[in-house]
This record gives sequence, C-alpha cells and structure tokens, in this order.
Amino acid sequence: MNLYAGKILVVDLSEKKISVEPLREDWLKDYWGCWGLALRYFWDLVSPEVDPLSPENALVIMTGPFCGTLVPTSSRFCLVSKSPYTGTIFETNTGGAFGPELKFAGYDGIIIKGRAKSLTYLKIMDDQVSLESARDLKGKGIFETEKLLKERAGSPEAKTLAIGPAGENRIGFACIGTETFRQMGRGGGGALFGSKNLKGIVCRGSGKVQVADMPNFLKKVTHFKKTNLLTDANLWASTDGTAILIDVINGFGMLPTRNFTYGVFEDKAGINSDAIKAAKRGDRACASCPMACGKFTRINGAEMEGPEYETLCLAGSNCEISELEQVIRFNRLCDDLGLDTISCGNIVGLAMELTETGRHDFGLKFGEAKNYLAVVPEIANLSTPRGKLLAKGAKKVAEKYRAEDLTVESKGLEYPAYEPRGNYGMGVAYATSERGACHLRAFTAFADSPFDIEALTQNVVDGQNFNAIKWSMCICDFWGSVNHEILAELLTAGLGRKVTPRDMATAGERIWNLTRLFNLGAGFTAEEDSLPQKIMKQPLEKGPRAGKVFAEDDFDKAKQLYYKLRGWDKKGIPTKTKLAQLGLDHF
Amino acid sequence: MEKILYAIPDLCTGCNRCVYICSAVKEGAFYPSKARIHNNNFSFNGYSVPSVCFQCPKPDCLKACPREAIYKNEKDIVLVDREKCDGCGDCVTACPYGMIEQDDQGLAYKCDYCDGDPACVKECYPEAIVYRAEDKAMRKLRGLQMKQRMEAATAGEKRRQLGRNLLSLVSQ
Repeated sequence: MNLYAGKILVVDLSEKKISVEPLREDWLKDYWGCWGLALRYFWDLVSPEVDPLSPENALVIMTGPFCGTLVPTSSRFCLVSKSPYTGTIFETNTGGAFGPELKFAGYDGIIIKGRAKSLTYLKIMDDQVSLESARDLKGKGIFETEKLLKERAGSPEAKTLAIGPAGENRIGFACIGTETFRQMGRGGGGALFGSKNLKGIVCRGSGKVQVADMPNFLKKVTHFKKTNLLTDANLWASTDGTAILIDVINGFGMLPTRNFTYGVFEDKAGINSDAIKAAKRGDRACASCPMACGKFTRINGAEMEGPEYETLCLAGSNCEISELEQVIRFNRLCDDLGLDTISCGNIVGLAMELTETGRHDFGLKFGEAKNYLAVVPEIANLSTPRGKLLAKGAKKVAEKYRAEDLTVESKGLEYPAYEPRGNYGMGVAYATSERGACHLRAFTAFADSPFDIEALTQNVVDGQNFNAIKWSMCICDFWGSVNHEILAELLTAGLGRKVTPRDMATAGERIWNLTRLFNLGAGFTAEEDSLPQKIMKQPLEKGPRAGKVFAEDDFDKAKQLYYKLRGWDKKGIPTKTKLAQLGLDHF
Repeated sequence: MEKILYAIPDLCTGCNRCVYICSAVKEGAFYPSKARIHNNNFSFNGYSVPSVCFQCPKPDCLKACPREAIYKNEKDIVLVDREKCDGCGDCVTACPYGMIEQDDQGLAYKCDYCDGDPACVKECYPEAIVYRAEDKAMRKLRGLQMKQRMEAATAGEKRRQLGRNLLSLVSQ
C-alpha cells in the first residue's frame, strides 16, 4: 500500500491475545490517519460512558500517512482514548522516532484492550510480537525503563514508549515518555498504560514505506520544504526553539506568572532563549525534521533536551522560579518519573499560592526551589500526604480547599502557558477544546486584536478544524505555515490519486464534530465549556494587558457565537444538518 | 579522492533524513534498514553519530573478498561488482565499521557516493554530512573515526559501538 503499512496490531491484554487486522481502508478518505483514524477506531471500540481506568476502555495508538517518509516533521503519532483526568475523549501526540519505527515494523497503529494480570511490556520486532513480563521493572523511571527495554529487545536502535511510577500509580496527569525527553504529555496517557498494567512498548522495524511515484514525491517534498517550511515563518524553531516564546509572550503581557496572577515575569532573563542558548550543548530533532527545535542543555551537571516553553513558563515563571538550572531539574524529574510538566507546574504553582495566602500550608513558596524539586517525586510516588493530595490535580485540590477562585483549568485540565485574560481567543480555545484546556487545538495568541470576540471566535473554529486534519497527518505544530493545499498535494503524490484541499477541510471539521459527539455521550454539556473564576473575575496584574478579565458576559457571547459558527444548537449539540453535511448522521 | 564524505557528529541532530533519502534513492522506498548511511541515536545523552563509509584507502572489505568482486573505481570509490559477488559475507565480517551489508539475495551492497553527488548531503540541513575536499580539520575528524575499528559483531553493532566510542570521547 502506498503511504500506509496496511495493518493494525490488536493486543488484548486480558486474553494475552495478539492479532493483526487489515487497515480499514474504507475509513481513510474520511479520517486519513493519526488523530482522525484513531478516533474512528476508538468510536467503534468503546462506549462513551466507559470508565477510563477500567479494562473496558481501549487505547488506540496511530501513525499517519506521512510517518516514515521525508515529509518534514511527519514523525508524530498519537494516542486516542477516554481520559482518566478529564473524562473526555482525548488525543495526545509526540514526536521522537517511535512512530516511524512502528510503521517500518509493518503497522499503522496499535489497539490495546483489556488489562494484563501483572506488569507487562509489549515487544514488537517486525512480525514477531509478544507480551513479556515487566514485573521487575515496577517502580522504575522512564529513563532506565527505556534502556532496559532496548536491551531486552537486543536492539539499541529499537524505539520505546514507557511509563514511570506516576503512570503505574495511575496519576491523572501521568505522561508516556519516548526517546528519553519526549512525551505524550497531556490527559493522562501514562495512567491509562498503568491501568492496563502496561509498562511500555519496545519496537524495531526493518521494513519500508512506499509511495506511488518516488521521484515525483521527492520533488514535491523538496519543493515545499524549501519554499514553505525552511522560511522565516518557521525557522525560529531551528535557531531558538520554543524558549523564544518567553520573551514574545511576556511582551504581550500573557506570560502566566505567580499562579496566573501576573502577565509578565520580571526575572524572565533567567529562563528565556538567551539562557537556553548559554546552556546549550546541541540541537536535537525528531525523525524526519530538519529544524531540530530540541535544545540539549546542561548546567552544573543537570542536563536534558529542553526545557520547552510550556515548562519554562509553568514550572518557571508560574512558580516564580528564575534559575534555568532548577527548571531543568524539575523537568528532568517529571520526564523520568512520568509526569506532565504543564499540569505539574500548574499544581505546584497553585500549592504555592495556597501556602502563601494561608489557606493551606504545603511547604511550597513562590521562587523557592528546594521544596519545589522535593515535591515532584512525592507526587509521582504518592509517598507523602502532600504528594498524594497534589497528585489528584488542581481541580480536586481546589475543591478540597474551596480554592476554585485560585485555580485555572477547563474540564479539569490545567492551563497551558498563554494567559486568556490577555487574549480572549485563547480562552475560547481552552473552554471548547475536546480534551480540556489546550493550546494545540486553536491558537490565537498572536492575533492583532486580542479582544475582538467575533474575529477570534472564528479563528478558534478555523484553527480547531485545521489542526484536526494537521494532527491527523502527523505533522508537527511547528510547521506553522503548512496548509490544506500542501497536505493535499503531498497526499496526491504519495497515494497516486487525487486528493483535494476541500477533502482536507471537510475531514478536519468531521473529526472535530465526532469528538463532540463522544463527549456529549460521555455526559458533557455546554456548562462544561467554561472558564474558571480567576479568568472571569480576577483582573490580570502587571504588564501591557493588566486590569483585564474575560468577563462572564463576554465569554457567554463568545460561546454562543462559537456554537453558531459550528452549526451547533444553543446547547452546543451539533445539528442534524451539520452532521449530515459531514457524513456523521449515522453516529 | 577529490572530495570525501564526512560525518560531523557534533552537528548531527539525529533527524535521520540522510537515512530516509538514501533508501529512497537506492531502494525506491523509505527503507532505513537498507540505507547505505545510518544514524546512531543516543537520546539520553543528546547526541547522534552518523555512520558513513570512509571509502578506506586500504579497504578491509576489498581485501577480504575471495572473488575480487569489490574494487576501487577511478575516483577511488569502493564498489561491489554484483555479478561477481557470491554472497559469502566475508566483506561484512571484515569491515570494521559495519558499512557493507548483504541484501535479501545475500549480495553485498554499500555506499557509492551516488556517483559523486551524494543525496544525503543535500538533505542534511545542519550540515553534519558534508562532501568536500580534505582539509586539516576534516582529516583529523575522519582519522579519529577511522581509528575506532570494531571486531566480531554484526554490522549494526559495529556502527553503534563506533558511535558509543565517539560519544565517550566528547563526554570526557
């Protein structure tokens, strides 16, 4: 098959049964790959009411059509399931090189069902697939687990997915790690692995990915790489990496600081891209990406790939930690123990504010690194009372201490690093994302008119629809200038049949609507498309957007406009006409 | 040789585009396991070492071949005459760098510099794979790499070990 491996690996952990199914080719033209295709598979596998941590929940890991090819930045792959953290459907993706390896092994994706009796890992060596005991890996960090899984596969070049103790302990913001410093971070993929007693997956593939006409395909890839990818629009990723956003977002007055109290961080020089450059040892790339946004840093023996912008903010400015070395140490702990740094940074920031306002003493204070570092293993290992409590996440902590006024989350997922009081589009994006607050569904932070509700709401709808197909093509966020036309042309060249930009646009909207149908089935209503009190009532302090709130009236206006633009009714339910238009009327 | 293919590990980001393009050009598919160039990724250490054929002045593969199927062309590039190759695999064992292997029919294959226009070089954005005339710095770099001679392992293991040796040198 062109662009696809043509097979799906199905693993039933309860039955210890492994089978191989042909790829559902009839779904490709509507769902394409990665997010869309995983979602379509997932829809048939579970009921929306499923308990996320039960054996009845399933995980779908999926690559995309360009994965394993020279289409730049195309090595990402995703996991779709029902989140144990938010109760929504969610998609989480990562780069690295596991996706291509899986495809070279002969599989477009993996479906995981059931629950193993004891801790297990999945070994994929081309067509030799087996379940192996991981009992002796219990409690081990991701770094050591990766090394041991590769050793056991007898292949240092094998690629892995693994969880740490946080995932084994089913912590709602536990991540899945790969290639040491890359993660499926948000929404609790690690807890899902943990709930299935799946410590990890190791994969080695020696096969190939084919295209219809290689010279033509290479010509197109080279053309778009030169004329669209490697241009000023995207090359910041290569020269600076994501740390460049510290200065940019701080300049907008949108850099979450002191648990989302301020919009600027006075000590940003300690954690900005100049600080990263001063500590940089080399540039690191995911498979197939010429840009290499990863910056490998080292300070006083603490080294890692990163930290990335989100961590520099949420574990840096948001906790008022201004020493890069400490953020590196925090980030490395999270990566090894298996915690999402966005959620973890938020939760520690919240605990700092609770402590400093005298509501509850967590022994954590803004700007104080010692306890900030000590609490990370306590959370991951559930080893102290405060660790156990913080492991429940910001929403639960806020509920316990009646601190709903201090926490920032939508649908239970803590906020990423773009202050919505400084840009209303980000607020609409967070409130309407299928997986809770997320900056990777729609991104309006760079809009010229940050408070123009009409224009920004339209931007959010367009952004969500576009990213739904972009993530379904497994293209990275940082190919920011890619568009429907380029995706369609590359697919046409690779598949050897005509694909149009309109096919791409419709698929994006279809995928977004299908996630909505799932969430409605899971019991979510318009009420949960919401913003926290802090954003609606407490004015942002400091910086160019100081004094701003995203008031409830304004937000409600934006929400109703959003539903209207989507072709949904006032309760946020897709209309029959919209579903018919997208071919979803039978769902 | 007028120009030599050099690998500069310090600049390599581990993106594997050299491997992908090599297999696309030589095999007509994205087929990393059959590429003539490889990459050894040490993600934990943030380091990657590309494996290239050195086109050795005194090639061990050529010396080991009992059928004289391996020869040097007029540009000093080491090539395999696949008509003469009988698939004995002695060259694979002999190459200390793991840079000659056997295909599904057992016949030997290796990097041929794409007849003087290596595809991998054009694909390498960080310029970790370069094709240029020798100078002092490049001679030193290549000399250091060629000194890491591996024995008694598969081609992949030899490449990996060479990479590990170079990593330990920069880590010191």
